[in-house]
Amino acid sequence: MKWRLIAVIAILVLSMLTSIGFAWSVSAQQSASLSEKQRELIRDNCVSIKSTLNQLKVSDALLRVNRGQIYESMGSKLMSTFNTRLSNNRLDNRGLVAVATGYDGALAKFRTDYQAYEQQLVTAINIDCTQDPDGFHFANENARTKRAQVHDDVLRLHEYIEDYRSAVKDFQLSYERVSGN
Amino acid sequence: MAEPERSILESIKAQEEVLDTFWARHRFFLMVFGTIIVALVLVVVSLVMYNVGGTAQLDLSRPGYQSVSDQVERTDAIDGFSSVGPVDADVIQEFIELYDEQAAKATAVDAFNGDPLNPELLEFTTPTGAQ
Repeated sequence: MKWRLIAVIAILVLSMLTSIGFAWSVSAQQSASLSEKQRELIRDNCVSIKSTLNQLKVSDALLRVNRGQIYESMGSKLMSTFNTRLSNNRLDNRGLVAVATGYDGALAKFRTDYQAYEQQLVTAINIDCTQDPDGFHFANENARTKRAQVHDDVLRLHEYIEDYRSAVKDFQLSYERVSGN
Repeated sequence: MAEPERSILESIKAQEEVLDTFWARHRFFLMVFGTIIVALVLVVVSLVMYNVGGTAQLDLSRPGYQSVSDQVERTDAIDGFSSVGPVDADVIQEFIELYDEQAAKATAVDAFNGDPLNPELLEFTTPTGAQ
């Protein structure tokens, strides 16, 4: 009974210390990232920063819709249809299917990463930078990281588009070899 | 022994009668109330799906996005390839030519490049006119 009580107290103390340590490290990280001069600049620029972020939000939304449509069509109207046509003719399309599956995965990641970026950007816009410059800076840095992730996804999609082209070329060579053309 | 049992049964019967009377008297109100609750639940579910599913990000009719909604490309820029028909050397070559053309469109724009959220550019620049 006595040992159980000691164990419970020890767990409580440890969890409290962990929480305090975590809160302290987060607070230290946030406060260390901004100097008083930088906070003042954020407060002074708050209106123009918000305006810039709103413009970026709108232009990125348009980019997402237009580019997203093209990326969707590359998968559904070219890769998928060509793979189906090969399959219907009982030709070995495994290499092409593997690339197309990777492309679909990269496209799904692009969608979710853009959603996370947009939500984070809205979070940053909704923070009052005159009152909470540190919170705003932290939210903006998060949005910046997420936007870079979306750009990486775009580059990955471009790589898959190139890979599919190479896979079709390989298929063409093997087809010509087998058919003797 | 039978007397208490009878009284319990009578009590239960009396309670059921009261309930029957309550439901019977308020059934129209309850139907309207139930319909409103079901409609509210369905609205909440659809709004959650709209936000969680990523549809909201594609909806440029939202407030604040109308300025660019007319710049959405209404026609699909990518030409498709038929999924039916025979496959021969000419068909493969035709597909490669079409694919090259469409891939050039897809990779023409390096979307989301640059670093517009860089704090050095966005937050820490001195306001115009300030020292």
